Amino acid sequence: MVFFILMATIGPFLVAYPSRSYQSLYEGDAGNPPSFKHPFGVEVSGIDVFSETVHSAKNDLYVGLAATLITTLIGVAVGALAGYFKGVVSDIMLGITQMFFVIPVLLLILLFARVFSVLVFKGLGLTLIVLILSFFGWSSIAFIVRGETLRLKEMEFVQAARSLGAGSFRLLFRHIVPNILSPVIVIATLNIAGFILTEVVVSFLGFGDPNTSTWGLLLNEGFPYVRSTWWVSLFPGLAVVFCVLGFNLMGDGLSDALNPRLRE
Amino acid sequence: MQETITSTDRVLEVNSLVKYFDVLERGIFRKKIVGQVHAVDNVTFHIFAGETLGLVGESGCGKTTAGKVILMLEEPTSGSIQFEGKDVVATFEHGPQDEMKQLRRNMQMVFQNPYNSLDPRMTVYDIISEAFVIHRHIPKNQWTDRVYELLRMVNLEEYHAERYPHEFSGGQRQRIAIARALAVDPKFVILDEPVSSLDVSIRAQILNLLIDLQRKQRLSYLYISHDLSSVRQISQRVAVMYLGEVVELANANELFDRPLHPYTQALISAVPVPDPDQKTTRIILPGEVPSPINPPKGCRFHPRCPHATDICKDVAPTFEDRLVQGHWIACHHADKFV
Amino acid sequence: MDENLLEITSLRTYFFTEAGVVKALDGMSLVVKKGQAVGLVGESGSGKSVTAQSVLRIVPRPGRIVDGSVKFDGEELLSKKEDEMRKLRGPKMAIVFQDPTTSLNPLYTVEKQLTDILILHRDLSKEDAAKQALHLLDRVGIQDPERRLKAYPHELSGGMKQRIAIARALACDPILLFADEPTTNLDVTIQAQVLELLKQLQRELHMTMVMITHDMGIIADMTEQVTVLYAGKVMEVADTPTLFKSPKHPYTEALLKAVPSVRQTRTLEVIPGNIPNLIEPPVGCVFHPRCKYAKDVCVKKDPELEKVAEGHYAACHFWRELQLEGKGG
Repeated sequence: MVFFILMATIGPFLVAYPSRSYQSLYEGDAGNPPSFKHPFGVEVSGIDVFSETVHSAKNDLYVGLAATLITTLIGVAVGALAGYFKGVVSDIMLGITQMFFVIPVLLLILLFARVFSVLVFKGLGLTLIVLILSFFGWSSIAFIVRGETLRLKEMEFVQAARSLGAGSFRLLFRHIVPNILSPVIVIATLNIAGFILTEVVVSFLGFGDPNTSTWGLLLNEGFPYVRSTWWVSLFPGLAVVFCVLGFNLMGDGLSDALNPRLRE
Repeated sequence: MQETITSTDRVLEVNSLVKYFDVLERGIFRKKIVGQVHAVDNVTFHIFAGETLGLVGESGCGKTTAGKVILMLEEPTSGSIQFEGKDVVATFEHGPQDEMKQLRRNMQMVFQNPYNSLDPRMTVYDIISEAFVIHRHIPKNQWTDRVYELLRMVNLEEYHAERYPHEFSGGQRQRIAIARALAVDPKFVILDEPVSSLDVSIRAQILNLLIDLQRKQRLSYLYISHDLSSVRQISQRVAVMYLGEVVELANANELFDRPLHPYTQALISAVPVPDPDQKTTRIILPGEVPSPINPPKGCRFHPRCPHATDICKDVAPTFEDRLVQGHWIACHHADKFV
Repeated sequence: MDENLLEITSLRTYFFTEAGVVKALDGMSLVVKKGQAVGLVGESGSGKSVTAQSVLRIVPRPGRIVDGSVKFDGEELLSKKEDEMRKLRGPKMAIVFQDPTTSLNPLYTVEKQLTDILILHRDLSKEDAAKQALHLLDRVGIQDPERRLKAYPHELSGGMKQRIAIARALACDPILLFADEPTTNLDVTIQAQVLELLKQLQRELHMTMVMITHDMGIIADMTEQVTVLYAGKVMEVADTPTLFKSPKHPYTEALLKAVPSVRQTRTLEVIPGNIPNLIEPPVGCVFHPRCKYAKDVCVKKDPELEKVAEGHYAACHFWRELQLEGKGG
């Protein structure tokens, strides 16, 4: 996990070739298998796979983390409010959440990417993905948060705070929200992995920005030549696998670590 | 009963208190009310300053709900609650904010489950000082001293303040809950089954602590429990609830030694006595406690009452102390038992 | 013929957890004669439930019986294989658990839960099993048994569920019944019903019953002989009237003094301190940190269970010297 974060942040400064550079073409290395000079090999187009993979880390993590951050914030807010306040407002919020939940986010992304292809090419492709994911992907968190809020609301320590004279604001933020954080954090961590995968799929299918390095893009470029220059597909693929696995494991570990403390 | 200083001032008066819960059937868009749970049905009693009123009954009788309503943790359907003469319901619904806050300071509650009543994410210090944060009745530089003082009052140590609830045993957590209730300097505390989830050897500790604090701080208690033995221990007067109604209210010794209502008689005879010489002839009540959604007509106890007659099926008895002064009872045939 | 149905000797059952080894039972002994109703009293952590689990060999992981002997009708149970034990559970010995909500399977009707056992152990046909199930419900005092048979547990009240749990335990006419806090979760008046039922059944069926509880009142009412457990060890064994009138162990005395009674108001005497940590129990006498009579030797040496009189044993260094107070007298 740490490895990937390091790779994303420091990597781009260390690698030999800038992002998306076709330099190797001119050096006559195009299409070469992995070697000392090019540890992951070179694409047919001349792009060095290793530096590309490293550059992509930054972008993919951006998608994963940004989308997760926003969806979590929205999800927690909606869920907590929907769970805490009874009545019409809560029911409406619940309904909206349910609607958002069923929307196939991936298809929407693909659709928007086509429609707004201008933006995509201008380099805002990733941001577009983030925006769509954030806009539609918060419902699962909202559900969990709402459920937990409902449960916690009836718990005696919340009743005790009410009997002490605490107002709704205090109850929500001092008592309820801190206690729902543990399941939320776990889901958020798993979401990071999920969102990264979404990006990979989008770019792999060709809907991404060809000017921004991402793993999905690499996979897309490597696909037609997978028989010959297999290294173009293998290494970014491995990067995705390990990254996703890393976040999943982190999510598992977190859920174990956070549980016993709350368990009596 | 315990010796205590009781004045003739009434610290709490509950009159014709009613709390019904709606039973809903949920459709996709609509909710339909299909019935009501008669949780608390026309309950009247009062508590004198410095005394403990025990409230006993089995599950579903409404005693916990009554406690919550008195503290306005649930809104009453109808009826009045007066604290030291002040109308509690009105203050909560319209009254000035600061008066409501003052009421909150005066009326506190210690909950049943020590594992759920403390926020697991807060330290003991935070839990107890939350009262200060909300009410600001103590200057900030005195908070730590006051927290330590409260901890000492409940026989805990100062260093416990840094710890989290899960590091304590059930009995210790109840002490923390008691300290928290006392942090606002209340006059009246509702104790909802405070020792039921504790081990036998710990119960005595908490009961004695409560009695001690009552004497020292001149507190009034409403002690809610299904455990008759501990109720007898701590209460001066006792009220017995069945299916949302109070069926008998009397001085503790009176009630336990000479119960007048058939339900109370059965209840007391059902408790196993820790003395092999006193074998009880148990009065075994037939059947189960009926659902509070559809309470029986007339006297609610009549389907299970060994002395029920025709009038009991049709006419609900009035709650009065006609036969013995100060000994209230709702039964058509109470004169049989006097 | 041996008149002892159950003989437990120096039983040690430990739970091997991540936090350490929990010594749930640490040298526990118990003798139950045929047809007797005995009590096993203790608070949480005393090991009373684990005792029943150990006899039936259903101790949950990470627990394990590490030492001792359990003789049932002369046969050593600890050396039996699992399938031999399975033949005993039901026909010979059974447990009624505390919480009928969790001890009855919510997915199956009452009828299925009862007939399953009957078919398994008695090899009855479905029809015969169903008839027997009806008979069982009748025996535990359930009104309208035909209707109840078809019901699911969640449709029934607590008292009713516990009666069914008792019916299930008795389905194959066991000769030994463990009742593990059978009424703790029930309302007082329902508890009275269930206790009366158990008393009646024990009389009629000449069953040997071990009543596991923390309630001294139930002990006084339902048992002839009592064993007092604390932190996995036996503190005192006596017949019930003697235990209440002339206890010989400080813990027994303390328990009797700390328990309020509905018949009288008195000052409760507090037992200071808390139930000990079973991973690191106190050295010497396990009760010494809370005992008001504790002396030096109590801190160093673990007392043996010594004979006070016929049928009366106490594990205390000073049982001879101490004048302990009981009830009455």
